[in-house]
Amino acid sequence: MQKERAKVATILLIVGRLTLAAIFLFAGYAKLQPQAAMHWSSASVKTSLAMFAMQVDSYQMLPPAGVSFVAHTLPPFEIFLGLWLLSGIALPVSSVISTLLIAGFFSAMVRSYALHLGINCGCFGTPEQLGAKTLIRDGSLLALSLAVTIGAFVIRRRRGAGRFPEAAPAAMASQQTHG
Amino acid sequence: MTERLASPSLSERKFPRILNRFSYGAVALVILAFVLAARPAASRPTNAPGKAVDSPGAPMKTYGSKNAPITLEVFSDFQCPSCRAFYEMTLRPMISDYVAAGKVYVVHRDFPLSMHRYGYQAARWANAAARIGEFQQIESALYDNQDAWAANGDIQKYVSSAMSPADFKRVEKLMEGCADQGTPAVKPVAAQTGHSCAEDAFIEQDRVLGNQIPIQATPTFVIYYKGKKFSAASGVVSWTILKQFFDQLLSQP
Repeated sequence: MQKERAKVATILLIVGRLTLAAIFLFAGYAKLQPQAAMHWSSASVKTSLAMFAMQVDSYQMLPPAGVSFVAHTLPPFEIFLGLWLLSGIALPVSSVISTLLIAGFFSAMVRSYALHLGINCGCFGTPEQLGAKTLIRDGSLLALSLAVTIGAFVIRRRRGAGRFPEAAPAAMASQQTHG
Repeated sequence: MTERLASPSLSERKFPRILNRFSYGAVALVILAFVLAARPAASRPTNAPGKAVDSPGAPMKTYGSKNAPITLEVFSDFQCPSCRAFYEMTLRPMISDYVAAGKVYVVHRDFPLSMHRYGYQAARWANAAARIGEFQQIESALYDNQDAWAANGDIQKYVSSAMSPADFKRVEKLMEGCADQGTPAVKPVAAQTGHSCAEDAFIEQDRVLGNQIPIQATPTFVIYYKGKKFSAASGVVSWTILKQFFDQLLSQP
């Protein structure tokens, strides 16, 4: 029974991790993709990033230098984080970064909504108005990321204690050595 | 500690390995998807017009040369504080810089919101002024004195102070039938009361264009460059950042 529950928990963790990965990959890609029927090129990517900078600036939280830095580093970082989550390597670390990042986005969105800035979300590159719908969506994403983070830590701890399947081969080896 | 462990079944031992293989496969698939997605975007269909639409017969609410490589179409409400901030912090320096240099052509569109009591009436005054070629002065006067007229609705005072008495008389004549009827929210006053105000037709033309985007907040602006239309952006964007975008466009061959 405990093994079955462990299996279900592991599957849920994988589904959550892959969902987060897909969302980050899509978000990063959407911000880099060519605008207005342009071809993929370094110029089109620079144009897309300059366009994204306008969306970052509309949040009115950062000076121009900060806006440019965020606009140019965030989309590649989202793709990197998406691939990292997809790989499953060091999941507790990648999921903590994911949670912190989404919490940052969510805070900025709540602030803009409360100030009635009437801006676009800028979440997925498209001109989508920031409103209750986008807040609910990002709030759900934050909850998912938090759940994946907790799950990653819990499973790592249990694996360490030998109560999850992945720890079994190592445990068996340990038994043979001692036996 | 190790005694507590039950010997794992074969499926349990294989389970993580399968997952690991699945992860590597997923990474490979994503990379493949990115490569495929990096096809020329021009092959995707687009129905967006490559230029700001001209409204036939509408008064000129523009800045700069129509032949400028970049067109900035701004949908705004004269009573909206963000529109004032956008005008004062972004449009004003842009007009004296890139518009004056022939790089940008600005088109003003009226999109008065129902939440602003005097926004519609201000748009009427601006359109009447535009019909005698005085739009730029009136837009400046309306935004500079927004707090004052938004408090009591005395728009006329600031319109009259921004132009010569002779011009103001002409504007007043055009405004006949446009007396403030309260809060024209969704429909113009003419449609609500039967009064005829010629300026309402121009505001409605802009509103129709705005609804096609569709506009959900003001200011919203659309940028056109060499026949290409970029996604609409909303809110206040600083001139520094907007300039970087324009420079990026202008640097393209």
